[in-house]
Amino acid sequence: MLSLTRTNSPSGERTNPGDGGSKGTSPPREGWWSSGAPWIWLNAMAVGIGIAAVAGLLGLIATRGLAHFWPADVAMLQVDDGTTLIGELVDIEFTDPASFEQTGQPDSGQIERWLLKTGNRRVNGPDFRWVPTASVVDRSFPSDVAVFERTEWGNAYGRISAVYEDDALVATGSPAWNELQSRLERVTELRDEIAATQARTIDTVNYGLERLRLEKRRRVLQGINEASDIEEQERVLMATYNEAESRLRALSEAMRRDAVEIVIMDGRSIRQPLSDVIRVWRPNAMTVGGKLLHYVRSLAVFLTGDPREANTEGGIFPAIFGTVMMVLLMAVIVSPLGVMAAIYLREYARQGPLVRLLRIAVNNLAGVPSIVYGVFGLGFFVYLVGGTIDDLFFREAQPAPTFGTPGLIWASLTLALLTMPVVIVSTEEGLTRIPRAMRESSLALGATKAETLFRLVLPVASPSILTGIILAVARAAGEVAPLMLVGVVKLAPALPVDLNPPFIHLERKFMHLGFHIYDVGFQSPNVEAARPLVYATALLLIVIVIVLNLAAIMLRNRLENRYQVAET
Amino acid sequence: MIQGLSWRRRAVEALTARVVGLGGGAIIVAITLIFFYLVMVAAPIFRPAQISELDVLRLSGSQVLAAGSNDSFESLYAIGADGTISFLNPDTGALRGSERLTPYPLAAVRLVFPSNDTFALVGEDGTATLVRVWFRRRFDGDVGYIEDHVDRLFGGEPLPLPAIPVEQATGHHENRFDFYLAESVLKVAGVDASGNIRIWQFDQLDDRLSQPPAVDLRPGGSIDRLDFGPRGDWLYATNSSGAVAVYDIAVPDQAVEVYSGFLTRDGAELSVMTPLLGRYSLMAADNNGRLTQWILRRGPEGAGLVAARDFEFADPIAAIVAEPRRKGMMALDSRGEMHLLHSTSERYLASFPTGLSTPAAAAFSPRSDRLLLAMPNGDLRRYAVTNHHPEISWAALWHKIWYEGYPEPVHSWQSSSADNDFEPKFSFSPLLFGTLKAAFYAMLFATPIAVMGAIYTAYFMAPRMRRWVKPGIEVMAAMPTVILGFLAGLWFAPLVEQNLSAVLSLFVAVPLCMLGFAWFWHLLPRRVTQPFDGWFAAISIPVLVVTTWLVFAYDNGLERLLFDGDAQAWFLAALGLDYDQRNALVVGIAMGLAVIPVVFAISEDAIHGVPRHLTTGSLALGATNWQTLTRVVILTASPGIFSALMIGLGRAVGETMIVLMATGNTPLMDFNLFEGMRTFAANIAVELPESEVDSSHYRLLFLAAVVLFVLTFCFNTGAELVRQRLRSRYGNL
Repeated sequence: MLSLTRTNSPSGERTNPGDGGSKGTSPPREGWWSSGAPWIWLNAMAVGIGIAAVAGLLGLIATRGLAHFWPADVAMLQVDDGTTLIGELVDIEFTDPASFEQTGQPDSGQIERWLLKTGNRRVNGPDFRWVPTASVVDRSFPSDVAVFERTEWGNAYGRISAVYEDDALVATGSPAWNELQSRLERVTELRDEIAATQARTIDTVNYGLERLRLEKRRRVLQGINEASDIEEQERVLMATYNEAESRLRALSEAMRRDAVEIVIMDGRSIRQPLSDVIRVWRPNAMTVGGKLLHYVRSLAVFLTGDPREANTEGGIFPAIFGTVMMVLLMAVIVSPLGVMAAIYLREYARQGPLVRLLRIAVNNLAGVPSIVYGVFGLGFFVYLVGGTIDDLFFREAQPAPTFGTPGLIWASLTLALLTMPVVIVSTEEGLTRIPRAMRESSLALGATKAETLFRLVLPVASPSILTGIILAVARAAGEVAPLMLVGVVKLAPALPVDLNPPFIHLERKFMHLGFHIYDVGFQSPNVEAARPLVYATALLLIVIVIVLNLAAIMLRNRLENRYQVAET
Repeated sequence: MIQGLSWRRRAVEALTARVVGLGGGAIIVAITLIFFYLVMVAAPIFRPAQISELDVLRLSGSQVLAAGSNDSFESLYAIGADGTISFLNPDTGALRGSERLTPYPLAAVRLVFPSNDTFALVGEDGTATLVRVWFRRRFDGDVGYIEDHVDRLFGGEPLPLPAIPVEQATGHHENRFDFYLAESVLKVAGVDASGNIRIWQFDQLDDRLSQPPAVDLRPGGSIDRLDFGPRGDWLYATNSSGAVAVYDIAVPDQAVEVYSGFLTRDGAELSVMTPLLGRYSLMAADNNGRLTQWILRRGPEGAGLVAARDFEFADPIAAIVAEPRRKGMMALDSRGEMHLLHSTSERYLASFPTGLSTPAAAAFSPRSDRLLLAMPNGDLRRYAVTNHHPEISWAALWHKIWYEGYPEPVHSWQSSSADNDFEPKFSFSPLLFGTLKAAFYAMLFATPIAVMGAIYTAYFMAPRMRRWVKPGIEVMAAMPTVILGFLAGLWFAPLVEQNLSAVLSLFVAVPLCMLGFAWFWHLLPRRVTQPFDGWFAAISIPVLVVTTWLVFAYDNGLERLLFDGDAQAWFLAALGLDYDQRNALVVGIAMGLAVIPVVFAISEDAIHGVPRHLTTGSLALGATNWQTLTRVVILTASPGIFSALMIGLGRAVGETMIVLMATGNTPLMDFNLFEGMRTFAANIAVELPESEVDSSHYRLLFLAAVVLFVLTFCFNTGAELVRQRLRSRYGNL
């Protein structure tokens, strides 16, 4: 998009004067240094650094992000002080003995230590611990060690010793594993049912009650004191609510029925209710196929699940949904407006100093920092426009703001403004490149200006327009700074689209992949545990943005070829 | 128009022209209006204040000793010498209600520090009763109204103030005692008959008052006024000759005088003294028209008062009223002219001639939008004050300011704090400095790589490779900066901290190894190297990787060799540089990576666009490739490269997420490579969501956005103009 000159040939086809044969004459006699060869190498190195940096960063994110879902083997370490540690090996680090007092060996160079994720946060304290490699007496991977993914307190590691039903022993030893699996299935079903009841009934009833409360207040504001019909509806909703509530209570009671006893690394047995257990697996006993299946399942949960534990575990579905929703809405706003502005600039405005000035201004707006747009969006859209809408249409909700607070619609509008120059510039470029002859022949055949525009100019320019829109979408998807001001939150209570009328809730706050990375990576209490998840989220965001950009680049290249044909 | 079109086609034609013309034009105008909106929001901070007088109300009854109002000025109250509080309608003066607070007449009323609504009513019988005036907004249906309340503290029990001669409330004597109340501990200071200071402390336990023994302080001279200092840990004693003593009373039975001196200079008399909000500073007016702010300084060299700034007037100041929630004040001079002032910004905000003598009681409304003066003749004068942003001035934004509690004037940005009596520090200097520092280091890293890379790609690279490199770099331009920031903060910053010597060595080792390899390459037979011309960039990557690996593998040895085994400690010892984990080095590299693609793309285009006949002509005349490049191509393309750098700089200045995540966001003014910074953009992102709409802070952040806008707009416009000239130059060649 930032190009100074456009050659007619696809870029790169033209040979460079410096490459190939023309440079191939032997280095001048007067010496290697003055021939410029070292400089050429340094210049080449600069390109190399650029490529290596891009590849390195992408590789880093990809490996760390994808490795997270692979079921890592769980090691059992015998340490020389007699303790046993069970956990996943997360990292190996070399550190100066000076900064690590536990070894008594001075000047031994650097010592190696392992970062072990021992889990069991509630019983063991911290999730992670450093173990000096030298202190490990024995390392093994016992096949009966299981990993428990839990809704609270992070993972647990240990051996399954028994399964209980209502405090009555059901199975011990090796049958316990199968027993556990079947009981876990039941718990999962119950959990799904609870979630469904919560979403379908409780949330709907709450939403309905809130609407009724506002309706009542609206009537009071209008001076109508008649509210018996509302109260009747409230009674109906409350009855539904109570019914669902008791059902939920019964379901969670049923969920608490079973428990599993785990022997953790220090030999203690802990009783873990199955209601808190999401999945159990024994990585050391898994085959590669089993691990692959586990991997795919974990990936699916990550993409479709809700976040847990302050976003540090679970999935990122609401963030994906929010990002897509916001970007779509933005595209819907920016496309017609940007294209219209470009058509005006190129086709309808009288070309002169004023239009040139406007064009420079639009170009420059593309370089204005995104945070400035965020500031504008907060001041103008949220407080001024949103506040006015609230005053006019949502008086019953006040002083709680409805539209006068950051939300999806304002984020989309702000980003539409931010990406408008991209669409305008790209569209204009497409319009400029339409050969004059084409236009004139259309006019000569008797078409009006509007007909030429709709039947000829726009269709021919459509790849440029599409390129502009894709670039705009790619930019919007990766932009975070302005969103922090106009609508993104770390945890949105509800998606912007649900089953409650009017189904699309433009005023709601939403979650966003980019902000999720910032929030989990920098604001969360347990950064170490959340880090792999952040890498995975970053990978997803990068993939989205790069795919969009590549699409735009390919479209542009194809377009360039097409015009060659048109011009010759 | 063409004749004979059907009405339908004509309508479409006209409609399209209308819609596109109006709509498109409007959109373009609208997006250029962003700037004006930002300016519009920011502008009010520089508007002067205004004072206007409202009707005079007349109070019947006794002399008013204290006055005040509720937040929104819907109810005002006056406490009279007869011990009665009267609530009035501020518009009509009608009595809303009144209550007798003490059975005996009052000698004086003093506001209890640090509250704005609690008063100590000192009776002529030598006791003090503490009352709190408060208001509650009630709703009757949709109609709101205000309820007035008075609470008697300590069960309404009058506190005995033995040994203090309470005289008729005249002149300074009402100030010879002071009250401090926080978390049910009440401290009272007073001057006893023999001129000593006595301090009592009352603890409210189980609704009973326990009274630890009083503390006696023997001052050097006479005392006319006592004021508790911040948090009740300090006590100021002053007299009319301007002498002042400061006592540290944090541990009451070890109270000690820490400072004594004069609040006036050149032998002038003190005419009036008032502490500002929080009592970290005293405003002292002398009889020559000078008003000085004395700041309580605490430090290792001992506590004391320092004169921070002077306000000069033609006439001596006769009365000072401090604002209840800001560090501003109203000063009334002896000719009866009111002056609105603010200490931090040193602004003379507004003047208003009243012709009045010293009032019996005066107070700002809690929001400082009304001023109440109760005159000795029973007039209650009300003034409307429009003074929204007194703490900001253009000078205060950029210059060093002497803030309360600081030993000297500093540049500082500290917009909020948990304390109510906090003095906001709004200096743009550290933010601008941080912005430029981050941009500088980013450009330092990015410029050589981007420009040299562009030169190679445009001039030397094999077309087949170029076709992949260009889009690759373009894709990198689209990399979300939040990802770069996250990697910089969580992966790269710890890496740099652990391998500082290796990272620094890379900057030297990589070019050296590259040159070494180039020398080796040059020794190879030409027959072997020939096919690889144009692929140097690809060949250099393994060299880079190996060099980097070697440097990191021998980091330990390097660190011992160069930095005595600990790079951070060495920099601190040898150069005095502190080390933060998230520092300018990390930001420079991370933001450099964000800037490289932009600079690369534009300069590559500029170099690649140099007309062919120039280069071929030069080569035909016998110049080598390198000579052609340096003397023809780069010279011709230099405006394009320059504009690329400008645009890159614009991007670096406005980048938010990387700086937010890869620095500690501390507003420092230090060019140290190993310390962080706070930039305009990051500052806006952090603070704007929490900022109160239309407050000074909010508008200042909009001003920061304007500054950013202007900075980047200048860079971009400069770049655009240069590019346009270049384009026409290429056209002419």
